[in-house]
Amino acid sequence: MSSKTPYRSAVIGAGKISEEHLRFLTTSPAATADAVCELSPALGEYAAEMFGVERAYTDYREMLQDRNPDVVHILTPPHTHRQLVTDCIDSGAHVIVEKPIATSNAEFHDLWSMAQSKGVALIEDHNYRFNEPVLAIEKLIEAGELGDIEEVEVRMALGIRGGGRYADANLPHPSHKLPAGVLHEFITHLTYLTLRFLPTFDRVGAAWSNHAGGELFKYDDLDALVIGGSTHARIRFSARTKPDCFCLTVRGSRGWAETDLFQPHLRVVTPRPGGEQLSPLANQLINGVALAGSSVKGFLNKVRQKTPYEGLGTFLDLAYASLDGASDPPVTFDDMDRATRLIEALLAEENQV
Amino acid sequence: MKLLITGSSGFLGKHVVAEALRQGHQVRALVRPATSLDGLPWRDHPQVEIARADLRSRSGLEEVVAGVDCVLHLAADKGGDVYAQYGGTVIATEHLLEAMEAAGVRSIVGISSFSIYGYLHKRSFSLLDEETPVESDPRERDAYGHTKLVQENLIRDFAQKHGWRFVILRPGAIFGRDNLWTARLGMQLSDTRWVRTGAWARVPLSYVENCAEAIVMAAACDAADGATLNVLDDNPPTQSQYISALRRKLDHRVQLIRIPWFVMRILARSAWLTNKIVFRGGAKTPSIFVPARLHARCKPLRYSNRRLRETLGWTPRWSLDEALDRSLAPTDPVDGEFARASESAQAQSKAELAA
Repeated sequence: MSSKTPYRSAVIGAGKISEEHLRFLTTSPAATADAVCELSPALGEYAAEMFGVERAYTDYREMLQDRNPDVVHILTPPHTHRQLVTDCIDSGAHVIVEKPIATSNAEFHDLWSMAQSKGVALIEDHNYRFNEPVLAIEKLIEAGELGDIEEVEVRMALGIRGGGRYADANLPHPSHKLPAGVLHEFITHLTYLTLRFLPTFDRVGAAWSNHAGGELFKYDDLDALVIGGSTHARIRFSARTKPDCFCLTVRGSRGWAETDLFQPHLRVVTPRPGGEQLSPLANQLINGVALAGSSVKGFLNKVRQKTPYEGLGTFLDLAYASLDGASDPPVTFDDMDRATRLIEALLAEENQV
Repeated sequence: MKLLITGSSGFLGKHVVAEALRQGHQVRALVRPATSLDGLPWRDHPQVEIARADLRSRSGLEEVVAGVDCVLHLAADKGGDVYAQYGGTVIATEHLLEAMEAAGVRSIVGISSFSIYGYLHKRSFSLLDEETPVESDPRERDAYGHTKLVQENLIRDFAQKHGWRFVILRPGAIFGRDNLWTARLGMQLSDTRWVRTGAWARVPLSYVENCAEAIVMAAACDAADGATLNVLDDNPPTQSQYISALRRKLDHRVQLIRIPWFVMRILARSAWLTNKIVFRGGAKTPSIFVPARLHARCKPLRYSNRRLRETLGWTPRWSLDEALDRSLAPTDPVDGEFARASESAQAQSKAELAA
């Protein structure tokens, strides 16, 4: 840990995701929650009171000037990121920002250059990459259990057309105006998970659809094929398929592994002792027991109100540990650059199916 | 008077607009941009002006508020998590108050709720009135009670700071057509299966039309300035009495699962202790197993509407029996009343044209 720890941190935006960030800041030895900024005075005070934050502000510029925080977490809607990130970097603060960091690759490069010139860190939240099942799949790959990766599938189903803030026609969510509409809120998760297992991409085809129609949603479905060398990836998003899921499947030359980050479990099918004849049976038995264990764990997680954001704590731990430059950040320039480039490629007209 | 009524298309709002028209006021009815006007019996009334806006956005609210004598603020969000309810209840109120200040409107009737009181440490069978302390730990309560308390404080603080005329009304359990079940009875498992706990607990009922009348009267009552008033009907029935009356009038059978109050208290206390000891308070349990919420719903208490009656000179127009009859009538009497008024106005207009 650097001599500066605990870092004095501030949060801009006191919506639902701020709970996860503030919980980290109030429990981690690496940081203290110094201030929270929210346009609504009452909501800002609620967040400050809930997490024992010293002061709530309604004007982030005033907060930056008064508190001069070491780190700022930007948790506001995507269309506000450019201005907020710029001003926080200008104040000399390290910046951790919710996805998507920028609405284009060029915008990301501008922000990165600013951060570099000021000598501060700029890190986009790729929290699901640090969920336990994803880390377990990475370990399997590193150990050679799955062989060479040949296929990746990332599938998210979220019933956002059926109700909630994205379906609210009375006050359309600002994300409807993003290049991919409200899907832009989720597409970063899909791309960074894909790219974790598909280091390059040279061919992209994307079918964007609005199956349920209407004026509010630009798209409610994405079906995309991404190919890098001989590895194929499929990215699926549906706002209509039920129930909600966030599935990841990685297939290699020796075996495959899959998980659902909303109902965490890990299924691994690989060659087992006993050879070709007994491996299928062994896989079924081992995965059956693992699934039963996951069910119990899932129930306890539900009771304890543990959310699928479990990877956020690990991500923030690593992010704070990297701020003194002693280690690489958990999400590097390359990670953010490739994720924003893939999103652009998926949206590019020449790649539309 | 010219009244702005927020939440006009809601269960209570529809009746408040109707009552304001009955009392001869002009009404600007605020409804959200995408809300259908179907089902609002007064939508074509000549004294009604429909205003479209969403209070969660500050944009355009000054024009909505400008020129009215008083705002009857009913809008609130009952669904979703605490953040959704902050948006629809608290942030909406912040925006409304700012717009009123900018537009020079200096009178408001804020609709709060019985849910803001602290119930857990109150003695059984004691009197709950306007002097009863509000909840000291809103986080132990549900998002609705929490946000309604913040909303009430916002209105009172803002009005006092700016020297406005204000009245805070705290309705009890508002009931009426399609809203005959109340959480103060226990838990509704389905339309035909109810869990009832606390048979002898009185239910502070407020029939929606009686409540609407009190709200409109508060707008024009000088004596109510600065007052906080509970709104409930006379002689609150016990859970048993209300459910018996309701079951007699319903056309379908309801299976009642009865859990004695002392058993439910022990169950909730045990669940709460288990949560604190085993899960360090981090477990999520149904509301009925959280003591602060259970007591807020079903604790046996006494209630009074004395201050409301004395301040406004209000008496409830409809008895419990009449209220249930109106709520269960095949067609909504309020719809019929406004349909007849509309036909009569059209006939008069035709006659005038012919003359």
